[in-house]
Amino acid sequence: MDELKQVFLQESNEQLDALEALLLELEARPDDETTLNGIFRAAHTIKGAAGMVECAAVESFAHVVENVLDRLRNHEIAVSTELAALMLACTDQLRVLVADEAGVADLAAEEIQTRTAGLLARLREFGPGGQVAASPKPAEPGVQRIPAGHAGHTCWHISVRFGPEVLRQGMDPENFLRFLETVGNIRHIETLADGMPAAAEMDPELCYLGFEIALESAADKQAIEDVFAFVRDECRLAILPPDSKVGDYLELIDSLPEDSLRLGEILVRVGALTADELAEGLRAQAAPASPDSAPEGTPIGEILVARQVVQPELVAAAVAKQTQVSEKKAHDAKLIRVPADKLDHLINLVGELVIAGAATSLLAHTRRDGELIESSSLLTRLVEEIRDASLQLRTVQIGETFNRFQRLVRDACKDLGKDVELVISGGETELDKSIVEKIGDPLMHLVRNSLDHGIEAPAVREAAGKSRRGSLSLNAYHDAGSIVIEVADDGAGLNRERILAKAVERGLVDPDAHLSDREVYDLIFAPGLSTAEQVTNLSGRGVGMDVVRRNLQALRGTINVDSHPGQGTRLTLRLPLTLAIIDGFLVVSANRSYVIPLDAVVECIERPVAEHDRNYFNLRGQVLPAVCLRESFKLPGERPARESVVVVQYAGQRAGIVVDRLAGELQAVIKPLGAIFRHLQGIGGSTILGSGEVALILDISALIKISGQAEQRLLARPEQRSA
Amino acid sequence: MLVDDSATVLLSISGILAKAGFQVVTASSAEDGQKKLAAGTKPDLLITDLNMPGMNGIEFIKVVRQRAELRFMPILFLTTESQQSKRAEAKAAGASGWIVKPATADTLLNTIKLVLR
Repeated sequence: MDELKQVFLQESNEQLDALEALLLELEARPDDETTLNGIFRAAHTIKGAAGMVECAAVESFAHVVENVLDRLRNHEIAVSTELAALMLACTDQLRVLVADEAGVADLAAEEIQTRTAGLLARLREFGPGGQVAASPKPAEPGVQRIPAGHAGHTCWHISVRFGPEVLRQGMDPENFLRFLETVGNIRHIETLADGMPAAAEMDPELCYLGFEIALESAADKQAIEDVFAFVRDECRLAILPPDSKVGDYLELIDSLPEDSLRLGEILVRVGALTADELAEGLRAQAAPASPDSAPEGTPIGEILVARQVVQPELVAAAVAKQTQVSEKKAHDAKLIRVPADKLDHLINLVGELVIAGAATSLLAHTRRDGELIESSSLLTRLVEEIRDASLQLRTVQIGETFNRFQRLVRDACKDLGKDVELVISGGETELDKSIVEKIGDPLMHLVRNSLDHGIEAPAVREAAGKSRRGSLSLNAYHDAGSIVIEVADDGAGLNRERILAKAVERGLVDPDAHLSDREVYDLIFAPGLSTAEQVTNLSGRGVGMDVVRRNLQALRGTINVDSHPGQGTRLTLRLPLTLAIIDGFLVVSANRSYVIPLDAVVECIERPVAEHDRNYFNLRGQVLPAVCLRESFKLPGERPARESVVVVQYAGQRAGIVVDRLAGELQAVIKPLGAIFRHLQGIGGSTILGSGEVALILDISALIKISGQAEQRLLARPEQRSA
Repeated sequence: MLVDDSATVLLSISGILAKAGFQVVTASSAEDGQKKLAAGTKPDLLITDLNMPGMNGIEFIKVVRQRAELRFMPILFLTTESQQSKRAEAKAAGASGWIVKPATADTLLNTIKLVLR
């Protein structure tokens, strides 16, 4: 695919997204001029771009859509639910057509055409759409074509007086004359400088000239007139076809500002008239008693014409004023488009800078050079700022992703016969673009699930004493260095018994097992147990919850489910702010360095030797599980007399990580581990320390989970614990 | 110089012009165009879209005309069949002529030939 087409595809999809969002907005506020203009502009841009890449299917369809939108904008038709739905359908169809152009449409060509035809028929109800599209160029009835065989007198007569401002509009009268040569042959030309004032009054930037031209041409009148199209409104232009009657010339002479006799002579010189014809004509003209009546009639007509010109101008100016407000807004939202790989490269470089800075700082400290330490700490601070600023470049607001669901919810409600309100909050929360891109699909799945299986039909809700209208809320916020996204509904909640029964049936759980509520709900993420298929017997949607969880885990994120029967389900997604650099806390066990993400660290305490063989510890009266790195990773060597415990917190759970000693904070540039290490639990990645040593980054959520699972299993089986 | 907010239009028209031997400076908004003119770009011809976010084409034309060295530069604007009323407004702002979108390479080059000295 060539570059132009690629740009077109990208641009169209962006415009279509905007169009869709605006259409949904329009439904809420049908009279909003800003929205209407935005919608029109989006459709207009798509059409224009399609025309440029000669994508006729998109162009002609967008043209009809644009016509209807134009009527809407001019308040010739009113916004209705039906029209809004039709416009949304058209947006979808444009998307399909654009996809088809790219060769990635998932519909057959005939199907696409059928749909286009169907939509066009419906669009026709709303306006002059269809017909206008069919014949955009009005036929010119007054066109006279000179037959080729009509030799001898094939000269057109052109009389032109340029407007004084023509030069200031960047046009040179000479250009028109030169361009006339492309239409025909100039046989004779007379320049009229009668309008020229005395030298003292003359403004060299104004044009005072006029021309009388005899043009030999086989072109039609329209073609000749088109040459002067750009100055048509400001100049006096008269075009007489070859073989015009003498009377026509006389009329022309009369209408021109110059002295009639002089003009007559010029016409004779140009060859339009013979001297005899002129003399005869002038004599005949002088005869009528009241020659004034006709000239007086003309100006009024001219004024009328002029008025018609003025009016659209006034309207246009008014419209322009109104659009200004919306355009300002659009401008604020205007962004610089930068290829993602350029940003990635920058972030990479900043990462290297962080490492190099750490090395310098380490060197300064080992040399004990006060000045060097000072300057390197300044450097470190700046590098940190650069790091934050460059990471900021990659962040986007999640609102855009959320807003996409408005449409989904609306459509799904129609399909399912449900009434659901989508409540969006925290749309301004920012997170890394690469994460945003990857959570779109999982989120979509969760929202669909809630609509399909969570929220009940209106009648069922009423029977249960709830409002008919269900509520689905999307919320995002920052929490301890992570982004939390919540998808919550006020539906029926998960059915604990049925999930458990299905899990037992599938052999995922031992029938005698005692599971906590949380463990049961977690089963919905198990492969092979999709709520869509098993629990509610409604049609599934391809991706199961296990895929959702896997996608999130790939982003170092987690998902939790919380449900109350009859009250609804809340899915909480937790994602890291960025994938590239973290603030870490360096710990050492058996002379190996490990990094704990600083956001997870709550506090550090010392642990007496006496507690070494326990897998729990006492934090001011609270009993917390302890994970010993030496044990978990089977590190060799003797345990030191004094160990340290790093108390970490993740998703509301706390645990202690037992290490040999603490080594302070650092910035860790995350280097992903190779494929061989992917199955390793408890390790999230690696980083390079200032000393050049490799340190492993601990995956706190996995570590807590490992310890938590062991704990819960013990609690769930009291008989085993006592045994 | 070519000014349009649509990347597709920029790419296609500049392609046609470049092939015809013109040296094209593109700008994706009126503000961008203004910046480039201020930086010393002195084009022989300006082609601008009218309907752009931010400063629109008509305001842009007015601003450009105020630059002493560009007072007589031909300015063409891009328009469509449906925007007849804008033409008078743009002309009043100082435009020389227009190009109806979508234009074929021939129309485009012919129009340019007409206005270019």
